[in-house]
Amino acid sequence: MKKKLIATLLSAAMCLSLAACGQKTDAPAGSGSGSGAVSASNGEKTQYTVGICQLVQHVALDAATQGFIDALNEALPGQVTIENKNASGEPNNCATIVNGFVSEGVDLIMANATGALTAAASATADIPILGTSITAYGVALDIDNFSGTVGGNISGTSDLADLSKQADMILEWFPETQKVGLLFCSAEPNSKYQIDEVAKHLADKGIETKEFAFTDTNDVASVTQAAADYSDVVYIPTDNIAASNTEAIANVLVPAGVPAICGEEGICSGCGVATLSISYYDLGVTTGKMAAKILTGEADISTMPIEYTDATPKYNAAMCEQLDITPVEGYTAIEG
Amino acid sequence: MLELNHVYKTFNPGTINAKTALQDLCLTLNDGDFVTVIGGNGAGKSTMLNAVAGTFAVDAGTIAIDGKDVTHLPEHKRAQFIGRVFQDPMMGTAPTMQIEENLALAARRGKRRGLAWGITRAEREEYREKLKTLGLGLEDRMTSKVGLLSGGQRQALTLLMASLRRPELLLLDEHTAALDPATAAKVLELSDRIVAENHLTAMMITHNMRDAIIHGNRLIMMNAGKIILDISGEEKKQLTKEDLLARFAAVAGQQEETDSVLLS
Amino acid sequence: MSFLTSLMNALPGAVAQGLVWGIMAIGVYITYRILDVADLTVDGSLATGGAACVMLIRAGVNPWLAVLAAMAAGMLAGLVTGLFHTRCGIPAILAGILTQLSLYSINLRIMDSKANQAVSVDKYDLLLSQRYVRTMSLDNPLPLLLVVTVVVIGILYWFFGTEKGSSIRATGANPHMARAQGIDTNANIVLGLMLSNGLVALSGALLSQYQGSSDINMGRGAIVIGLAAVIIGEVIFGKIFRNFALTLLAVAIGAVIYYIVLQIVLQLGLNTNDLKLVTALIVAVFLAIPYWKGKMFRQKIQPQSAKGGNGNA
Repeated sequence: MKKKLIATLLSAAMCLSLAACGQKTDAPAGSGSGSGAVSASNGEKTQYTVGICQLVQHVALDAATQGFIDALNEALPGQVTIENKNASGEPNNCATIVNGFVSEGVDLIMANATGALTAAASATADIPILGTSITAYGVALDIDNFSGTVGGNISGTSDLADLSKQADMILEWFPETQKVGLLFCSAEPNSKYQIDEVAKHLADKGIETKEFAFTDTNDVASVTQAAADYSDVVYIPTDNIAASNTEAIANVLVPAGVPAICGEEGICSGCGVATLSISYYDLGVTTGKMAAKILTGEADISTMPIEYTDATPKYNAAMCEQLDITPVEGYTAIEG
Repeated sequence: MLELNHVYKTFNPGTINAKTALQDLCLTLNDGDFVTVIGGNGAGKSTMLNAVAGTFAVDAGTIAIDGKDVTHLPEHKRAQFIGRVFQDPMMGTAPTMQIEENLALAARRGKRRGLAWGITRAEREEYREKLKTLGLGLEDRMTSKVGLLSGGQRQALTLLMASLRRPELLLLDEHTAALDPATAAKVLELSDRIVAENHLTAMMITHNMRDAIIHGNRLIMMNAGKIILDISGEEKKQLTKEDLLARFAAVAGQQEETDSVLLS
Repeated sequence: MSFLTSLMNALPGAVAQGLVWGIMAIGVYITYRILDVADLTVDGSLATGGAACVMLIRAGVNPWLAVLAAMAAGMLAGLVTGLFHTRCGIPAILAGILTQLSLYSINLRIMDSKANQAVSVDKYDLLLSQRYVRTMSLDNPLPLLLVVTVVVIGILYWFFGTEKGSSIRATGANPHMARAQGIDTNANIVLGLMLSNGLVALSGALLSQYQGSSDINMGRGAIVIGLAAVIIGEVIFGKIFRNFALTLLAVAIGAVIYYIVLQIVLQLGLNTNDLKLVTALIVAVFLAIPYWKGKMFRQKIQPQSAKGGNGNA
């Protein structure tokens, strides 16, 4: 009996001490410990709690979260307590995190990436959910004949830059192209959708395409090599794993002399030639503004369509030099 | 009952550690023979037993039990003919299972195991009676986990398990070597009794020359993978330890001489 | 809402998640403790169960049938690992890793090359969903999960008491002795792996419905959670629960405790970037507790030890 008591006390002590550590660590603005501080009075609601569930630590997702937090704090200064939690790449953790949010009764949930969105959608039909960094809501939520508005308690922003324009971009820069390799990560829900759409547009123009999917960081190099061997031009969608491995991809494509058109600026500045760039930070800001409207009751989430940000055509000057390509008119150089 | 015909076994062939454990081994056991096997270390005694049991496959030769050729049968298929007690008391029983469960497993040796309940009430009674004959008080602890028993108790249990379903052949591999003298004597006495009561054919390996002479009706001495002495009946009864040692030296010495002549 | 209230509110969800993973942990218990084989296939077969179940439900199949089909898929995975190990001589750990690796591609194919397939409770007739875990209604997944857990434990308790089940236990306890008693240890290892992975796939099928989607990565880290549950269950209930059925229950409770601890830690404001570190520490502490206990109490007895040592064999 004594031993069991000690065992239980030890584990309880361990929990508390670890959490105490957690309290002291730095976190993005506003991240608090539980909802102790906020939304006291029930009558006039001026204090809000918002829970952010981000699927994985990643540059683009981090930027979206930061944009969201900044926009919210600007629209409703001092009125919002934000809990920012990261599932560290495991979809199952999203369920645990969202469970916590729903139990606390947060006023809004921001779901950053598809895994977080599906977990949140499954957990609650009442608390408003805003998604971001998600490319195709219809696909993610299994909605037939998606009209652009999800309805119910879900809305959000999409990082989809017009795919037909991206397909056109390939031909604009490289009119002689006959074979395009589509490079992406098989574990990314959004990538497949973009690949399929771009392939369709290219097929309409008589261009042959082939898919090259890698599993994770370990096989990026070999799969990229296979793509380089086949393609005149490579297309890379907004793929998180690709974004984390641009060095490796560039190390293969540049020696092979194969240019890449990318779905996103971060990837382009690492290994690509041109892109229709959207800023994830701006995407987060748009999401934050939507959130502020929903919290104050100014807008009803069930009628809010998915929002997009504007895309700017950009090119990577250094890469153009390396591959000896003349930049096309109308594109801005990526800074830095 | 048991026939070994020109059996060869070499371990690690072709390497520097190559050891020819069994060389052209021929042995016939008749029904009811209780054979004791002695020999120096590395003579091949355990290897012979393991070859019969099927722990490994032999390189050449045939093994037949009760007329059936078992040379190519895997270990678990040969088990229906053979009861074994190992040198290591821990090897013969499942320590995390109860005494009665171990016995139930042994009772089904060689039978198809299906979804019938593992141990019936009638069986329990039977086991209680059998455990009483061991005289170790185990019949009062039938639901204790075997891991709690001492080495001697586990060996006695293994012996009982080996003979629960009458085996064609009982193989005892130095089964008292790891026990203290008192327990060893008890287990040996048990072995004798079980072999006699059930009219079993048995092979017992032992390092103790006295035991080898006293027990059984036939004695085999091995050296360098071959059988060099085979004594039975009256002659065996009259043997003394000194006789054995002398005869061993004679035969082994002969072989050594032959080797050195060849090599010089 | 105060911390305690929100924690109380979060408990049903944590318990539900714990029970789902508890089934998976029971599967891990079969291979890890009974068969004494470290089976790493589970990271893959959990996702296989989820993928198969979701795709079948999306195709209009009855959810119960979908779950059964998912179990069958898991059993196939276990069969492959078993064959790698027993017929190809590949060590068990490697065999498990190989199967888990292949399952990534297979799971993707099952999910029609998509990394994430949603199955919304609004659209399909699911067996359970986290949407209703806090409601007092028939839709609440907790009763279903409790029933499934009890049924699974009951069936296993019966099975391991049969002749076949006893022979599997013997295979894990002492393979030499098992073979000497005529037990085909290779066949039993394969059978054990099939049984275990079938359970893991069952857990995956339930999990995907609970969370509303099946994801290619949903099995990542599953073996760690399974082992953690087994160990937590053993450490806390080891002395009280001697009976086999109760031991399995302890494993399920271990999973629940794991998820409750995780939820508490999250509610307390832990930086979620440290989540994996926390998981590792939880498991490490529970693994160390029996070791430390052994050391602590031994020192007290020494001064009085004139009475002779333990009579234990």
